Amino acid sequence: MDILDSYLRAVKRCLPRAQSDDIIRELSDELRSQLDEQQAALGRPLSDEELMAFFKKHGDPMTVGRRYRQDHRSLSLGWELIGPELFPMYLILLSFNLALTIAAVVVVSLMVHLPIKPDTFLVPVLAQIICLTVVFTILNLIRRKFPQPWYYPPAELAPLLPISRWYSLVGLAMWATVAIWWLAVPHFPQLILGSGAAHLKLAPTWHRFYVPMLLLLLASVSQRVVSLVYPTWTWVIPVVRAIINGAAVPILYGLMFKSQTLVVPAEGIQNTPQNQQLVEKFNDLIRWGILGPWLWIWAGISAMVYAWYCVPHLRRLIRRVRGQALSAVS
Amino acid sequence: MSPGNSNHDLFENLRLELRRGSLILAVMASLQAEQYGYTLRKTLTEHGMPIDEGTLYPLLRRLETQGLLVSEWREEDKRNKRFYRLSEDGKTIFKQLLAEWQSMNSSLNGIL
Repeated sequence: MDILDSYLRAVKRCLPRAQSDDIIRELSDELRSQLDEQQAALGRPLSDEELMAFFKKHGDPMTVGRRYRQDHRSLSLGWELIGPELFPMYLILLSFNLALTIAAVVVVSLMVHLPIKPDTFLVPVLAQIICLTVVFTILNLIRRKFPQPWYYPPAELAPLLPISRWYSLVGLAMWATVAIWWLAVPHFPQLILGSGAAHLKLAPTWHRFYVPMLLLLLASVSQRVVSLVYPTWTWVIPVVRAIINGAAVPILYGLMFKSQTLVVPAEGIQNTPQNQQLVEKFNDLIRWGILGPWLWIWAGISAMVYAWYCVPHLRRLIRRVRGQALSAVS
Repeated sequence: MSPGNSNHDLFENLRLELRRGSLILAVMASLQAEQYGYTLRKTLTEHGMPIDEGTLYPLLRRLETQGLLVSEWREEDKRNKRFYRLSEDGKTIFKQLLAEWQSMNSSLNGIL
Protein backbone atom coordinates (compact mmCIF):
# COMPACT_ATOMS: atom_id res chain seq x y z
CA MET A 1 0.00 0.00 0.00
CA ASP A 2 1.75 3.12 -1.28
CA ILE A 3 0.22 5.56 1.17
CA LEU A 4 0.88 3.43 4.26
CA ASP A 5 4.49 2.80 3.20
CA SER A 6 4.96 6.47 2.53
CA TYR A 7 3.52 7.40 5.93
CA LEU A 8 5.78 4.88 7.65
CA ARG A 9 8.81 6.24 5.80
CA ALA A 10 7.96 9.73 7.06
CA VAL A 11 7.61 8.44 10.64
CA LYS A 12 10.88 6.50 10.35
CA ARG A 13 12.78 9.70 9.62
CA CYS A 14 11.73 11.02 13.05
CA LEU A 15 12.57 7.90 15.06
CA PRO A 16 15.70 7.11 17.07
CA ARG A 17 17.92 5.44 14.45
CA ALA A 18 18.91 2.40 16.50
CA GLN A 19 15.30 1.26 16.93
CA SER A 20 13.67 2.67 13.82
CA ASP A 21 13.39 -0.59 11.82
CA ASP A 22 11.92 -2.47 14.73
CA ILE A 23 9.43 0.28 15.58
CA ILE A 24 8.34 0.61 11.96
CA ARG A 25 7.74 -3.15 11.66
CA GLU A 26 5.51 -3.04 14.69
CA LEU A 27 3.73 0.16 13.71
CA SER A 28 3.19 -1.23 10.23
CA ASP A 29 1.48 -4.31 11.66
CA GLU A 30 -0.69 -2.19 13.95
CA LEU A 31 -1.81 0.16 11.17
CA ARG A 32 -2.41 -2.68 8.72
CA SER A 33 -4.54 -4.45 11.35
CA GLN A 34 -6.56 -1.27 11.92
CA LEU A 35 -7.00 -0.71 8.20
CA ASP A 36 -8.05 -4.35 7.68
CA GLU A 37 -10.61 -3.96 10.45
CA GLN A 38 -12.05 -0.78 8.92
CA GLN A 39 -12.16 -2.33 5.45
CA ALA A 40 -13.86 -5.44 6.81
CA ALA A 41 -16.45 -3.27 8.56
CA LEU A 42 -17.14 -1.29 5.37
CA GLY A 43 -16.91 -4.32 3.09
CA ARG A 44 -14.70 -2.44 0.63
CA PRO A 45 -11.24 -0.89 0.40
CA LEU A 46 -10.89 2.57 1.91
CA SER A 47 -10.96 5.51 -0.48
CA ASP A 48 -8.01 7.88 -0.66
CA GLU A 49 -9.94 10.44 1.38
CA GLU A 50 -10.75 7.86 4.07
CA LEU A 51 -7.09 6.84 4.16
CA MET A 52 -6.11 10.47 4.54
CA ALA A 53 -8.54 10.86 7.48
CA PHE A 54 -7.09 7.68 9.01
CA PHE A 55 -3.51 8.97 8.93
CA LYS A 56 -4.56 12.41 10.12
CA LYS A 57 -6.18 10.78 13.15
CA HIS A 58 -3.04 8.78 13.78
CA GLY A 59 -1.00 11.98 13.93
CA ASP A 60 1.62 13.75 11.88
CA PRO A 61 4.82 11.73 11.48
CA MET A 62 6.93 14.11 13.53
CA THR A 63 4.66 13.87 16.58
CA VAL A 64 4.39 10.09 16.25
CA GLY A 65 8.19 9.78 16.01
CA ARG A 66 8.75 12.06 19.01
CA ARG A 67 6.75 9.76 21.29
CA TYR A 68 9.40 7.08 20.83
CA ARG A 69 12.26 9.38 21.76
CA GLN A 70 13.57 9.14 25.28
CA ASP A 71 15.60 12.34 24.94
CA HIS A 72 12.98 15.09 25.01
CA ARG A 73 15.54 17.85 24.53
CA SER A 74 14.27 21.33 23.79
CA LEU A 75 15.46 24.94 23.77
CA SER A 76 13.95 27.21 26.40
CA LEU A 77 14.66 30.68 27.72
CA GLY A 78 12.08 30.87 30.47
CA TRP A 79 9.50 29.78 27.90
CA GLU A 80 9.79 27.14 25.24
CA LEU A 81 11.49 28.38 22.05
CA ILE A 82 11.93 25.06 20.24
CA GLY A 83 9.99 22.02 21.42
CA PRO A 84 11.19 18.40 21.48
CA GLU A 85 9.51 17.59 18.11
CA LEU A 86 11.56 20.16 16.22
CA PHE A 87 14.71 20.16 18.31
CA PRO A 88 16.48 17.19 16.63
CA MET A 89 15.92 18.73 13.18
CA TYR A 90 17.08 22.13 14.49
CA LEU A 91 20.32 20.58 15.76
CA ILE A 92 20.99 18.79 12.45
CA LEU A 93 20.35 21.92 10.38
CA LEU A 94 22.33 24.14 12.73
CA SER A 95 25.34 21.80 12.64
CA PHE A 96 25.16 21.60 8.85
CA ASN A 97 24.83 25.38 8.42
CA LEU A 98 27.63 26.13 10.87
CA ALA A 99 30.00 23.66 9.21
CA LEU A 100 29.17 25.17 5.82
CA THR A 101 29.59 28.74 7.11
CA ILE A 102 32.95 28.01 8.72
CA ALA A 103 34.20 26.26 5.56
CA ALA A 104 33.01 29.18 3.39
CA VAL A 105 34.67 31.78 5.65
CA VAL A 106 37.95 29.84 5.57
CA VAL A 107 37.86 29.47 1.76
CA VAL A 108 36.99 33.14 1.17
CA SER A 109 39.65 34.32 3.65
CA LEU A 110 42.29 32.18 1.93
CA MET A 111 41.23 33.43 -1.50
CA VAL A 112 41.46 37.11 -0.59
CA HIS A 113 44.56 36.55 1.59
CA LEU A 114 42.93 37.71 4.80
CA PRO A 115 44.23 36.44 8.17
CA ILE A 116 41.93 33.83 9.73
CA LYS A 117 41.10 34.97 13.24
CA PRO A 118 38.30 33.95 15.65
CA ASP A 119 36.67 37.38 15.01
CA THR A 120 36.26 36.51 11.34
CA PHE A 121 33.82 33.73 12.22
CA LEU A 122 31.88 35.61 14.90
CA VAL A 123 29.33 37.52 12.78
CA PRO A 124 28.51 34.75 10.23
CA VAL A 125 28.21 32.11 12.97
CA LEU A 126 26.04 34.34 15.17
CA ALA A 127 23.88 35.25 12.17
CA GLN A 128 23.32 31.55 11.40
CA ILE A 129 22.41 30.72 14.99
CA ILE A 130 20.04 33.69 15.36
CA CYS A 131 18.31 33.21 11.98
CA LEU A 132 17.79 29.48 12.39
CA THR A 133 16.61 29.85 15.99
CA VAL A 134 14.09 32.53 14.98
CA VAL A 135 12.76 30.39 12.10
CA PHE A 136 12.39 27.33 14.34
CA THR A 137 10.81 29.40 17.12
CA ILE A 138 8.17 30.60 14.66
CA LEU A 139 7.59 27.02 13.45
CA ASN A 140 7.29 25.93 17.07
CA LEU A 141 4.75 28.66 17.80
CA ILE A 142 2.68 27.55 14.81
CA ARG A 143 2.79 23.94 16.01
CA ARG A 144 1.67 24.97 19.48
CA LYS A 145 -1.12 27.19 18.15
CA PHE A 146 -2.48 24.44 15.91
CA PRO A 147 -2.05 21.28 17.98
CA GLN A 148 -3.49 18.95 15.32
CA PRO A 149 -1.16 19.77 12.47
CA TRP A 150 -0.48 17.99 9.23
CA TYR A 151 2.56 19.86 8.05
CA TYR A 152 4.60 16.94 6.81
CA PRO A 153 2.35 14.88 4.61
CA PRO A 154 4.06 12.01 2.86
CA ALA A 155 4.52 12.78 -0.83
CA GLU A 156 1.87 10.24 -1.81
CA LEU A 157 -0.71 12.11 0.26
CA ALA A 158 0.14 15.50 -1.19
CA PRO A 159 -2.32 15.10 -4.09
CA LEU A 160 -5.12 14.77 -1.53
CA LEU A 161 -4.40 18.04 0.25
CA PRO A 162 -6.41 20.91 -1.24
CA ILE A 163 -4.30 23.99 -1.91
CA SER A 164 -5.01 26.67 0.66
CA ARG A 165 -6.77 29.68 -0.89
CA TRP A 166 -4.68 31.96 1.28
CA TYR A 167 -1.53 30.47 -0.25
CA SER A 168 -2.85 30.92 -3.79
CA LEU A 169 -3.98 34.46 -3.04
CA VAL A 170 -0.58 35.52 -1.69
CA GLY A 171 1.14 33.94 -4.72
CA LEU A 172 -1.32 35.65 -7.06
CA ALA A 173 -0.69 39.06 -5.51
CA MET A 174 3.06 38.56 -5.67
CA TRP A 175 3.28 37.29 -9.24
CA ALA A 176 0.70 39.79 -10.52
CA THR A 177 2.88 42.58 -9.08
CA VAL A 178 5.98 41.15 -10.81
CA ALA A 179 4.06 40.75 -14.11
CA ILE A 180 2.77 44.34 -13.96
CA TRP A 181 6.30 45.55 -13.21
CA TRP A 182 7.64 43.64 -16.21
CA LEU A 183 4.83 45.00 -18.43
CA ALA A 184 5.61 48.54 -17.31
CA VAL A 185 9.41 48.34 -17.75
CA PRO A 186 9.47 49.27 -21.53
CA HIS A 187 7.30 52.35 -20.83
CA PHE A 188 9.00 53.31 -17.58
CA PRO A 189 12.66 52.16 -17.82
CA GLN A 190 13.33 53.85 -14.49
CA LEU A 191 11.60 50.85 -12.90
CA ILE A 192 14.73 48.85 -13.68
CA LEU A 193 17.32 51.58 -14.32
CA GLY A 194 16.30 53.92 -11.51
CA SER A 195 17.84 57.40 -11.81
CA GLY A 196 20.17 56.02 -14.53
CA ALA A 197 17.19 55.99 -16.95
CA ALA A 198 17.98 59.61 -17.86
CA HIS A 199 21.28 58.48 -19.41
CA LEU A 200 20.62 54.85 -20.34
CA LYS A 201 18.17 52.68 -22.28
CA LEU A 202 17.56 48.95 -22.53
CA ALA A 203 19.61 47.28 -25.28
CA PRO A 204 17.85 45.62 -28.28
CA THR A 205 18.71 42.19 -26.80
CA TRP A 206 15.89 42.74 -24.27
CA HIS A 207 13.32 42.39 -27.06
CA ARG A 208 14.39 38.79 -27.68
CA PHE A 209 13.69 37.83 -24.09
CA TYR A 210 10.94 40.27 -23.15
CA VAL A 211 7.96 38.37 -24.59
CA PRO A 212 9.05 34.86 -23.45
CA MET A 213 9.60 36.21 -19.92
CA LEU A 214 6.23 37.97 -20.00
CA LEU A 215 4.54 34.74 -21.09
CA LEU A 216 6.16 32.84 -18.23
CA LEU A 217 5.04 35.49 -15.75
CA LEU A 218 1.49 35.39 -17.11
CA ALA A 219 1.55 31.59 -16.88
CA SER A 220 2.60 31.93 -13.21
CA VAL A 221 -0.28 34.31 -12.56
CA SER A 222 -2.72 31.99 -14.37
CA GLN A 223 -1.57 29.02 -12.28
CA ARG A 224 -2.39 30.95 -9.08
CA VAL A 225 -5.82 31.91 -10.46
CA VAL A 226 -6.58 28.27 -11.34
CA SER A 227 -5.38 27.09 -7.91
CA LEU A 228 -7.53 29.75 -6.25
CA VAL A 229 -10.67 28.75 -8.15
CA TYR A 230 -10.04 24.97 -8.11
CA PRO A 231 -8.07 24.21 -4.91
CA THR A 232 -8.55 20.46 -5.36
CA TRP A 233 -6.62 20.47 -8.66
CA THR A 234 -3.43 19.82 -6.75
CA TRP A 235 -1.53 18.59 -9.83
CA VAL A 236 -1.61 22.09 -11.31
CA ILE A 237 1.15 23.41 -9.03
CA PRO A 238 3.90 20.83 -9.75
CA VAL A 239 3.07 20.41 -13.43
CA VAL A 240 2.80 24.10 -14.31
CA ARG A 241 5.77 25.15 -12.18
CA ALA A 242 8.00 22.40 -13.56
CA ILE A 243 7.16 23.65 -17.07
CA ILE A 244 7.55 27.37 -16.23
CA ASN A 245 10.80 26.98 -14.31
CA GLY A 246 12.14 24.54 -16.88
CA ALA A 247 11.39 27.03 -19.66
CA ALA A 248 12.93 29.87 -17.65
CA VAL A 249 16.30 28.08 -17.51
CA PRO A 250 17.31 28.55 -21.21
CA ILE A 251 15.73 32.03 -21.33
CA LEU A 252 17.65 33.26 -18.29
CA TYR A 253 20.78 31.53 -19.53
CA GLY A 254 20.56 33.46 -22.81
CA LEU A 255 19.82 36.71 -21.02
CA MET A 256 22.63 36.31 -18.51
CA PHE A 257 25.43 34.60 -20.36
CA LYS A 258 24.83 35.03 -24.09
CA SER A 259 23.95 38.72 -24.15
CA GLN A 260 26.94 41.04 -24.21
CA THR A 261 25.08 44.20 -23.28
CA LEU A 262 21.76 44.63 -21.54
CA VAL A 263 21.93 48.43 -21.20
CA VAL A 264 23.31 51.04 -23.65
CA PRO A 265 23.61 54.85 -23.52
CA ALA A 266 20.37 56.67 -24.35
CA GLU A 267 20.07 58.77 -27.53
CA GLY A 268 21.89 62.08 -27.29
CA ILE A 269 24.17 60.92 -24.48
CA GLN A 270 27.85 61.48 -25.14
CA ASN A 271 30.21 58.52 -25.07
CA THR A 272 32.34 59.92 -22.26
CA PRO A 273 34.39 57.62 -19.96
CA GLN A 274 32.03 58.56 -17.15
CA ASN A 275 28.98 57.41 -19.15
CA GLN A 276 30.78 54.25 -20.26
CA GLN A 277 31.48 53.47 -16.63
CA LEU A 278 27.79 54.02 -15.83
CA VAL A 279 26.78 51.62 -18.63
CA GLU A 280 29.19 48.96 -17.34
CA LYS A 281 27.95 49.42 -13.78
CA PHE A 282 24.31 48.94 -14.79
CA ASN A 283 25.10 45.95 -16.98
CA ASP A 284 26.89 44.31 -14.05
CA LEU A 285 24.15 45.28 -11.62
CA ILE A 286 21.44 43.71 -13.77
CA ARG A 287 23.48 40.68 -14.82
CA TRP A 288 24.89 39.81 -11.38
CA GLY A 289 22.33 41.49 -9.13
CA ILE A 290 18.72 41.76 -10.27
CA LEU A 291 18.71 38.83 -12.70
CA GLY A 292 21.94 37.21 -11.52
CA PRO A 293 22.99 33.59 -11.92
CA TRP A 294 21.29 32.80 -8.61
CA LEU A 295 17.93 33.26 -10.36
CA TRP A 296 19.04 30.90 -13.10
CA ILE A 297 20.21 28.28 -10.59
CA TRP A 298 17.00 28.70 -8.58
CA ALA A 299 14.88 28.16 -11.72
CA GLY A 300 16.83 24.99 -12.58
CA ILE A 301 16.60 23.51 -9.08
CA SER A 302 12.89 24.43 -8.76
CA ALA A 303 12.15 22.81 -12.12
CA MET A 304 13.75 19.57 -10.91
CA VAL A 305 12.01 19.67 -7.53
CA TYR A 306 8.58 20.29 -9.11
CA ALA A 307 9.22 17.58 -11.69
CA TRP A 308 9.84 15.24 -8.73
CA TYR A 309 6.57 16.41 -7.11
CA CYS A 310 4.77 15.39 -10.31
CA VAL A 311 5.63 11.72 -9.65
CA PRO A 312 2.89 10.94 -7.06
CA HIS A 313 0.32 12.69 -9.27
CA LEU A 314 1.47 10.65 -12.24
CA ARG A 315 1.30 7.47 -10.17
CA ARG A 316 -2.27 8.30 -9.13
CA LEU A 317 -3.20 9.00 -12.72
CA ILE A 318 -1.79 5.66 -13.88
CA ARG A 319 -3.63 3.88 -11.05
CA ARG A 320 -6.89 5.57 -12.03
CA VAL A 321 -6.49 4.77 -15.73
CA ARG A 322 -5.66 1.14 -14.92
CA GLY A 323 -8.66 0.94 -12.57
CA GLN A 324 -10.96 2.31 -15.27
CA ALA A 325 -9.53 -0.11 -17.83
CA LEU A 326 -10.04 -3.06 -15.45
CA SER A 327 -13.62 -2.06 -14.62
CA ALA A 328 -14.34 -1.64 -18.35
CA VAL A 329 -13.03 -5.18 -19.00
CA SER A 330 -15.04 -6.70 -16.15
CA MET B 1 -8.11 32.25 27.58
CA SER B 2 -11.56 32.09 29.27
CA PRO B 3 -11.89 30.65 32.83
CA GLY B 4 -13.98 27.79 31.34
CA ASN B 5 -11.22 26.83 28.94
CA SER B 6 -8.58 27.18 31.60
CA ASN B 7 -10.51 24.87 33.97
CA HIS B 8 -11.03 22.39 31.18
CA ASP B 9 -7.30 22.35 30.37
CA LEU B 10 -6.43 22.00 34.03
CA PHE B 11 -8.85 19.11 34.44
CA GLU B 12 -7.48 17.48 31.28
CA ASN B 13 -3.89 17.73 32.55
CA LEU B 14 -4.80 16.28 35.95
CA ARG B 15 -6.87 13.54 34.34
CA LEU B 16 -3.95 12.56 32.11
CA GLU B 17 -1.61 12.54 35.09
CA LEU B 18 -4.01 10.32 37.04
CA ARG B 19 -4.46 8.02 34.06
CA ARG B 20 -0.76 7.63 33.27
CA GLY B 21 0.02 5.53 36.36
CA SER B 22 -3.17 3.51 36.05
CA LEU B 23 -2.37 2.72 32.41
CA ILE B 24 0.96 1.16 33.32
CA LEU B 25 -0.84 -1.04 35.81
CA ALA B 26 -3.52 -1.97 33.27
CA VAL B 27 -0.93 -2.81 30.61
CA MET B 28 1.07 -4.95 33.03
CA ALA B 29 -2.09 -6.71 34.21
CA SER B 30 -3.09 -7.48 30.62
CA LEU B 31 0.36 -8.79 29.79
CA GLN B 32 0.29 -11.54 32.38
CA ALA B 33 -0.84 -13.48 29.32
CA GLU B 34 1.13 -13.00 26.11
CA GLN B 35 -0.38 -10.53 23.60
CA TYR B 36 0.69 -8.38 20.71
CA GLY B 37 0.09 -4.65 20.52
CA TYR B 38 -3.09 -4.61 18.50
CA THR B 39 -4.92 -7.19 20.64
CA LEU B 40 -3.60 -5.58 23.81
CA ARG B 41 -5.06 -2.26 22.72
CA LYS B 42 -8.39 -3.92 21.98
CA THR B 43 -8.39 -5.68 25.36
CA LEU B 44 -7.74 -2.41 27.16
CA THR B 45 -10.47 -0.63 25.17
CA GLU B 46 -12.96 -3.40 25.92
CA HIS B 47 -12.21 -2.96 29.62
CA GLY B 48 -12.81 0.79 29.50
CA MET B 49 -9.16 1.84 29.26
CA PRO B 50 -8.85 3.08 25.66
CA ILE B 51 -5.32 3.96 24.65
CA ASP B 52 -4.08 5.17 21.31
CA GLU B 53 -1.22 3.38 19.60
CA GLY B 54 0.98 6.48 19.83
CA THR B 55 0.90 6.12 23.61
CA LEU B 56 0.83 2.33 23.91
CA TYR B 57 3.82 1.35 21.78
CA PRO B 58 6.31 3.82 23.30
CA LEU B 59 5.06 2.70 26.73
CA LEU B 60 5.65 -0.96 25.83
CA ARG B 61 9.17 -0.13 24.67
CA ARG B 62 9.88 1.80 27.84
CA LEU B 63 8.66 -1.07 30.03
CA GLU B 64 10.75 -3.49 27.99
CA THR B 65 13.85 -1.30 28.34
CA GLN B 66 13.22 -1.26 32.10
CA GLY B 67 13.21 -5.06 32.05
CA LEU B 68 9.55 -5.41 33.04
CA LEU B 69 8.45 -6.93 29.72
CA VAL B 70 9.96 -9.40 27.27
CA SER B 71 9.00 -9.60 23.64
CA GLU B 72 9.56 -11.77 20.60
CA TRP B 73 8.65 -11.57 16.92
CA ARG B 74 6.44 -14.40 15.67
CA GLU B 75 4.31 -14.99 12.64
CA GLU B 76 0.55 -15.09 13.09
CA ASP B 77 -2.11 -14.81 10.39
CA LYS B 78 0.68 -14.57 7.78
CA ARG B 79 2.01 -11.45 9.46
CA ASN B 80 4.97 -10.88 11.74
CA LYS B 81 3.85 -9.66 15.12
CA ARG B 82 5.69 -8.70 18.24
CA PHE B 83 4.33 -10.54 21.27
CA TYR B 84 4.81 -9.08 24.74
CA ARG B 85 4.52 -10.63 28.19
CA LEU B 86 5.62 -9.78 31.73
CA SER B 87 9.17 -10.78 32.56
CA GLU B 88 9.99 -12.42 35.90
CA ASP B 89 11.01 -9.02 37.28
CA GLY B 90 7.84 -7.58 35.76
CA LYS B 91 5.69 -10.13 37.57
CA THR B 92 7.29 -9.26 40.91
CA ILE B 93 6.97 -5.50 40.35
CA PHE B 94 3.40 -5.94 39.13
CA LYS B 95 2.43 -7.73 42.37
CA GLN B 96 4.00 -4.92 44.40
CA LEU B 97 2.35 -2.22 42.32
CA LEU B 98 -1.01 -3.95 42.56
CA ALA B 99 -0.74 -4.17 46.34
CA GLU B 100 0.23 -0.49 46.46
CA TRP B 101 -2.67 0.48 44.23
CA GLN B 102 -5.16 -1.53 46.34
CA SER B 103 -3.85 0.07 49.49
CA MET B 104 -4.09 3.54 47.98
CA ASN B 105 -7.56 2.76 46.71
CA SER B 106 -8.83 1.71 50.11
CA SER B 107 -7.16 4.73 51.74
CA LEU B 108 -8.75 7.02 49.19
CA ASN B 109 -12.14 5.41 49.69
CA GLY B 110 -11.75 6.06 53.40
CA ILE B 111 -10.88 9.72 52.83
CA LEU B 112 -13.66 10.23 50.30
